[in-house]
Amino acid sequence: MNRIINILLVEDDRLDQIDVMRTLEKKQILHRLKIANNGEEAWEMMEETESSIFTGPPDIILLDLNMPKLNGFELATRIKSHPVFKDIRIFMLTTSEEHEDKAAARKLGVTGFITKPLKLQSPTSTDAFNLMIDLMNMGK
Amino acid sequence: MKISNIILFSFFIILLLFSITTYLNYALADLTNENTEVFERSSVVVRHSNRFQRNFLNMVSGLRGYLLTTEGFFIQSYDSAMQENEDILKELAILVPEQAQQQDLLRDIRQLHTYWIQNFAVPLLEARKNTLLSDSTKRAFDKFYRVKLVDGLEKDVQASLQRKFSQFINFEYRLRESEREKLKASVHNTKVVTISLTIISIVVGTGIAVFIAYSISSKMINMVIMANAIAGGNYEVHIHDRGKSELSQLARALNRMARILDTNITLLQRQRDELDQFAHIVSHDLKAPLRGIDNVINWIEEDHLAALPKGVVDYLALIKGRVARAEDMLKGILQYAHIGKAERIKEVVDVNELLLEVREYLPSRSGITLTVQTGFPMLFTERIPLVQIFTNLMVNAYKYHDKTENGFVKVYFKDAGKYYQFFVEDNGPGIDPKYHQKIFRIFQTLHPRDFVESTGVGLSIVKKILDDRKLTIHLESETGRGATFSFYWPKDETHE
Repeated sequence: MNRIINILLVEDDRLDQIDVMRTLEKKQILHRLKIANNGEEAWEMMEETESSIFTGPPDIILLDLNMPKLNGFELATRIKSHPVFKDIRIFMLTTSEEHEDKAAARKLGVTGFITKPLKLQSPTSTDAFNLMIDLMNMGK
Repeated sequence: MKISNIILFSFFIILLLFSITTYLNYALADLTNENTEVFERSSVVVRHSNRFQRNFLNMVSGLRGYLLTTEGFFIQSYDSAMQENEDILKELAILVPEQAQQQDLLRDIRQLHTYWIQNFAVPLLEARKNTLLSDSTKRAFDKFYRVKLVDGLEKDVQASLQRKFSQFINFEYRLRESEREKLKASVHNTKVVTISLTIISIVVGTGIAVFIAYSISSKMINMVIMANAIAGGNYEVHIHDRGKSELSQLARALNRMARILDTNITLLQRQRDELDQFAHIVSHDLKAPLRGIDNVINWIEEDHLAALPKGVVDYLALIKGRVARAEDMLKGILQYAHIGKAERIKEVVDVNELLLEVREYLPSRSGITLTVQTGFPMLFTERIPLVQIFTNLMVNAYKYHDKTENGFVKVYFKDAGKYYQFFVEDNGPGIDPKYHQKIFRIFQTLHPRDFVESTGVGLSIVKKILDDRKLTIHLESETGRGATFSFYWPKDETHE
């Protein structure tokens, strides 16, 4: 029995949101997707899941770096220092040029990166989707 | 004080000192001349005096001889001596300066001489002449002779005359002696003053020269240090100099120059930074929406291709082409902005190998032959810019080539002293000379971009790389006659 993966997508660009949604579908990943348009919104949604008895925190967070209000770094820092959320896998959505940002994100302890635009064959995003497929196949 | 004034002033001081010296020497020469004249005149006076005395003795002996013998010979001797003495007395009167003492003596001498002639010689001669007439007169003469010559007055007159003369001559000797002493003293004084003035001139001249040299060279050294600092990129240098000399003015002008340079270069640096930032922002931020457009078109093609009419598919392809071009141009801007910012790393570069690598980037075209000269040099230089230049020139030669057969691109080099001149020649369409400047500007293309896909940054990058290194590129081409691009590259950069 495959498991449905809970994904929180934190991304302000509508185009990139669609990009992620399309890719998840193409990869046939069984998922439940929540979308936050910025870090603050994402954090509020996370806090709500804590008090909810039916839906827990997300399995995976796909996090854009550059966002208004609370940016990707700040949100990742908050999550990694939170007692409950700290083990949630975070994948950073980056463009290929953001080398310095990547190094900084790695220090924070993110699981990996997905390079935008999402290419089905791109090695970086393959890692992330393989992980999702593995999680899905593991059942619970 | 102005340096020119100091130099003029010191020049005049030294000139004055030398003028004094010259005047003193001139005066001395004058004095010597005068002294010589006095000496000569005095010699003549003494000579005359001696001659007068000798003549007088001749007169005395002539007189006595005649008185004793009455021989005419004696009277002749007496007469000629007297005549000569008359002349000598006249001359002496002229020669002796109007000094009271000598003139007095001369007057006394003349009087004594005349007295002797009139009171002794003439009466005795007269008396003696008469003795020839009778014996009585002979006796009278003898008596008279005794009275005149033996009683001693004549001897007194003679002695007095001698005394006067020795006084007269002695005076001359003393005069000469005193003149000689005066001259000696004058020579000595002149010598002392000349030597002193010369020494003073040397000391003053040396002092002024040292002062000027020191003040000029110390200021010069300061300015050289400052100019070197400015050349080294440090514009915050300043020379403190409140003087009024020309060099102080120069120092203040240098200060002003450094200040203006500092302001301008700071401004230039800020503008360059802003431009870099701008290029970065433009290329970076514009890329995102372009990528978005490209994404959406991809999605349409992936999801709805079958449902699209043919015309729409063609338009979508056009959009994609334009997006790709815009992305290339943005990449070009970034590349252009990055030239010269990268660290210049020099290494041993085998240009033969480098050209083999560049071959890989050439578009495949049939009918064009590439000829690369063998034996290109090994250089110790920056590899990447050289690759960029060759790539851009050779890719252009290929990309714009219009021949479908017998086309060629030739790459060769020449030795040009300290440089190598590298050539990329083709027999393509050529470039009208009126565009020879224009083609090196960024985004400048001569063909519609749809005809040959081009961003128009290739040659501008080549130009900028060469400009940054103060090297030049040359183009020889006319429409229809192909084009030859050549550029210079230094042979030896080991010491740079």
